[in-house]
Amino acid sequence: MPPRIRSSNCPPQQLLLNYLDAPLPSSLLPLHRPAVASSTPSLPSPCRRQQQTSSFSTSQPLEMTKPQREFRLFLKRAGKQFEKHEGNGPMYLSLAKPEGGNNTPFPSNKMFKSEPVLSSRARQMIWEAVMLQGMPLKAVSAQYHVDMRRVAAVVRLMEIEKRMEKENAPMAIPYARAVEKMLPRANLMGEEEPFEPINDVHVHSFTMQQLFVPVSESREFTRKDAAKAFGDHILPPDHKMRIPELVKMERDILSGVPQAQAEKDFLARTRESERLFAESQKYVAAKKEAKKLKVDTERFEFRIEKFNSQAVGKRGRARNAVGWRYGVPFNDRQKGLYKIPTSVG
Amino acid sequence: MVVKIRLARFGRTNSPFYNIVVAHARTARNSRPLEVIGTYDPVPKKDTYDESGRLHKDIKLDVTRAKYWIGVGAQPTETATRLLSMVGIVEPKHQKTPPRKSTPKKEKAVPAQA
Repeated sequence: MPPRIRSSNCPPQQLLLNYLDAPLPSSLLPLHRPAVASSTPSLPSPCRRQQQTSSFSTSQPLEMTKPQREFRLFLKRAGKQFEKHEGNGPMYLSLAKPEGGNNTPFPSNKMFKSEPVLSSRARQMIWEAVMLQGMPLKAVSAQYHVDMRRVAAVVRLMEIEKRMEKENAPMAIPYARAVEKMLPRANLMGEEEPFEPINDVHVHSFTMQQLFVPVSESREFTRKDAAKAFGDHILPPDHKMRIPELVKMERDILSGVPQAQAEKDFLARTRESERLFAESQKYVAAKKEAKKLKVDTERFEFRIEKFNSQAVGKRGRARNAVGWRYGVPFNDRQKGLYKIPTSVG
Repeated sequence: MVVKIRLARFGRTNSPFYNIVVAHARTARNSRPLEVIGTYDPVPKKDTYDESGRLHKDIKLDVTRAKYWIGVGAQPTETATRLLSMVGIVEPKHQKTPPRKSTPKKEKAVPAQA
């Protein structure tokens, strides 16, 4: 939008003078004038600048700035190929340059690499392995080299998609296909390199410091002791990794267990650990549900949870107190706050 | 002044949420109450992984305090009565009774003609 000028800056006499100064009325100007009006840098009076948006403008044809001109040229030459997406893969700007590969979407930011996403086929494979074959998540993660959390997310989203299909909910499938076509994809067919590291250990900031712990020479100092030295709540790396069963399998193989047997054991162990985890989750959920009183009516089930209304803090404004709080602003619409749910329920 | 157990509407446009409160009858709906004894979310929800499509509503209630306030003579409004009666604190106002069956009239015994 061009800068607005107050009307007082532009008296009617000046307008008239401008008009009289002009060599030709606007209707007689040559036809090759650009139709789009934009700001003119070299006009002397503010009135002329105001005139440019009017149909009766008498200002000179507008000149494009250098970046504008270069952009037009780019659109005509190297950028012509980007007009429409073609092929079955990404078409990033780096294609236009001979030295650039095809994974740098932002040419000025060479460090940004476009990482592949799971293709729809890969997602289907993961879903089938978990839901149809009943493989444990850890085993699927190890098989396809996809992070366990990603495996879980894929299964959840596929389940939602399938439910929506069943409910005949409107779905943007052509859109999803078009977007998928424009991204680099991983098919998880085994030819390409591993999709992502799956057993990385999170490095706690407490463990990044240098620490001098006097230990007697005769004492064995293990990873557990090292973790404890950094802090009571710091876990040793063996407890932190997502799939410790993989390490156990490698150890077994090194100690002479045949590969097939080791893999079989790995599957059994992961299945067992998943069963235990599911059981503990179920126990917690059942305990929570048992606290609720359920009243079935014809239309709805009312779930009544008991709680202590006295625990509202000293001033009656405790954050975790039940109900909407009085005299406290509710910042659910404030900008700059994270409103993304942090748990899946 | 009469003490009432009633709902105070919070939430946003088209997404109501109620506090179940104990307040003096003549105070404004959303003014600071004597006590908040629960919440009522009237928007029916589905369970995430339940495919039956059955809907539920969530209520939180401090049953002990509710009983206390009823005991000292607080008057629940009609909606509050409906919610409290689910826990058995007050008698339900409207009880579901099966529709009365019309009893068929007894036909007069026709004397057998000889």
